[in-house]
Amino acid sequence: MKKIPALLAAVLMAATTALHAEEKLVVYNWAEYIPESTLADFTKETGIKVEYSTYENNEVMYSKIKLQKGKGYDIVVPSSYLVSKMRQEGLLQKIDPAKLTNLKNLSPDLLDKPYDPGNEYSVPYLWGSTGIGVNAKEIDPATITSWADLWDEKWQGKLLLTDDVREVFHMALKKNGFSTNTTNPDEIKTAYEDLQKLMLNVLVFNADAPREPFLAGDVNLGMIWSGEVIMAQQENPDIQYIFPKEGAGFWVDSFAIPVGAEHVENAHKFIDYMLRPEVGQKVVEELGYSTPNMASKALLDEDTQNNPVIFPPADIVKASEFQQDVGDAMKVYDGYWEKLKTGK
Amino acid sequence: MVINFRRFVIVLTVVWLGLFVLVPHVLVLLTSVMSPDPQHLAVWPLTLNSWGRLLEPLYAEVFWHSLWLSTLTTAICLLLGYPFAYIVAKLPGVWRGLLLFLMIVPFWTNSLIRTYAIKLILGNKGLVNSLLLASGLVDEPVQLLYTPFAVIFGLVYVLLPFMVLPLVSSFGKLDGTLLEAAHDLGAGFWQRFRLIIVPLTMPGIIAGSLMVFLPAMGMFYVADLLGGAKNLLLGNIIKNQFLVVRDWPFGAAFSVALIGIMAVLLWLYFLANRRINRAGGLDDESF
Repeated sequence: MKKIPALLAAVLMAATTALHAEEKLVVYNWAEYIPESTLADFTKETGIKVEYSTYENNEVMYSKIKLQKGKGYDIVVPSSYLVSKMRQEGLLQKIDPAKLTNLKNLSPDLLDKPYDPGNEYSVPYLWGSTGIGVNAKEIDPATITSWADLWDEKWQGKLLLTDDVREVFHMALKKNGFSTNTTNPDEIKTAYEDLQKLMLNVLVFNADAPREPFLAGDVNLGMIWSGEVIMAQQENPDIQYIFPKEGAGFWVDSFAIPVGAEHVENAHKFIDYMLRPEVGQKVVEELGYSTPNMASKALLDEDTQNNPVIFPPADIVKASEFQQDVGDAMKVYDGYWEKLKTGK
Repeated sequence: MVINFRRFVIVLTVVWLGLFVLVPHVLVLLTSVMSPDPQHLAVWPLTLNSWGRLLEPLYAEVFWHSLWLSTLTTAICLLLGYPFAYIVAKLPGVWRGLLLFLMIVPFWTNSLIRTYAIKLILGNKGLVNSLLLASGLVDEPVQLLYTPFAVIFGLVYVLLPFMVLPLVSSFGKLDGTLLEAAHDLGAGFWQRFRLIIVPLTMPGIIAGSLMVFLPAMGMFYVADLLGGAKNLLLGNIIKNQFLVVRDWPFGAAFSVALIGIMAVLLWLYFLANRRINRAGGLDDESF
């Protein structure tokens, strides 16, 4: 009879080791925002299985995390303005810097920003810009220098815009000389009225990969993310990137851990893994976005380091604004956004 | 044992439907009369504001546009599906089986993937435009993708089988001797078609139309991918309210309104069906 408890214990032991072998991590990230092999390498090295799903814009991710009260995911990758919002609403948990041995690789330029003082809740992953993409074979890139050029009547029914309320408003706000983070209802209204005029020129709102319509030849001009241009150029070097003179939209996307994450330890391991110099290098090489990781940047070849699309000159960055949370004014933006999308 | 098993099945069905159909719908209905709150999605007090907003001109316009796209889709599916179903139903068993099978095969691929494939076909450098350019019919690519045409094309493609299947079953039940008799008595093709074939396949026509029309209003991904997120369907509005704007009560009110439209249409179907079943005799002149 004594043997049975012993047997049970053995079975339990086996079961718990089996459970341990099934260490996992649930990552919720933007579509096409991590090289697939990087996840595989992470699993190979750590034995942590990664469950990976993607979202198309910040709002969708926020809604889901909000709805699930911060449960269900271990890693999310919000843009800066959403980091501050989620942090203030208690949706994120503090990241333990002691567990991140590679934190020192990050450039101080992108740390300790107003959206997350001291980076208690977020670790920058990638940054980049939203500017104008043009197919040089069809349109002379020299003729396009500003956001205002997109308003030209000759582009009727030709443009691609990203399906992102903040980015689309950025264009019109900058065109009118306002801040991209304005909360002034009059300024937002002016931008909206300007965008109404732009709608005649819009062919498509793209949410997942703006480079695809460019590559397919369906659009030759429109908004695009810097990394998408780099990826597109591997297939078609004619796709070029323009920093509009009013200022491109700059953003930083950061790793964060939702408050209800179940695998906090693994989430730290994952962030630390992503901060390794050679991992960051591979991310830039495959995705074409800018890394805040100085050690990674140093590993890149000369051409990449000097590519202005990936690492824009200091004066362009200085003249631009990074996105911040606009608080309750978001409602105003959303209201106008819906009107624009429904043709008003 | 038999009774126990029957009771078990009934209880299981009732619990299943209650838990996964009734409760969610009651929740949606409840949400639609709550107050919107970006922080907590939906809060007290109860209000009919969201329902009132349905009447705003902005949404009325989207509503009619969506209705128009869905109606056109249904009409095209019917025009294509009706002769197709007639031919299929008249074929010998093996061929009928094969054709229906071929109709179903594409469904083994996710409809999202097939929608992406349509993008490649309709694009400026896609199959259609390449053919048009090569044949010299046009000098410049025709803008097909990201237009209402593309949305309707996608909807017809995805939904056509839902029209064909009920029609085939209706044609299968069509008694050929009636047509022979009509022919012998001197009825021309149009008379036979109008007075016999159409009335007797009416249940299939109505069922097929409903099965095309209702989903056509909700397939937001078709409108997003093929319409360039500009030619919105009701489904897009609902999706945006829930995911982007986070006005859950309004999204819920929209959902309930859509369910209401479906209910009315299904009720009409029920009435029509009953009428046809009760009629049906040769001397019936109600058609």
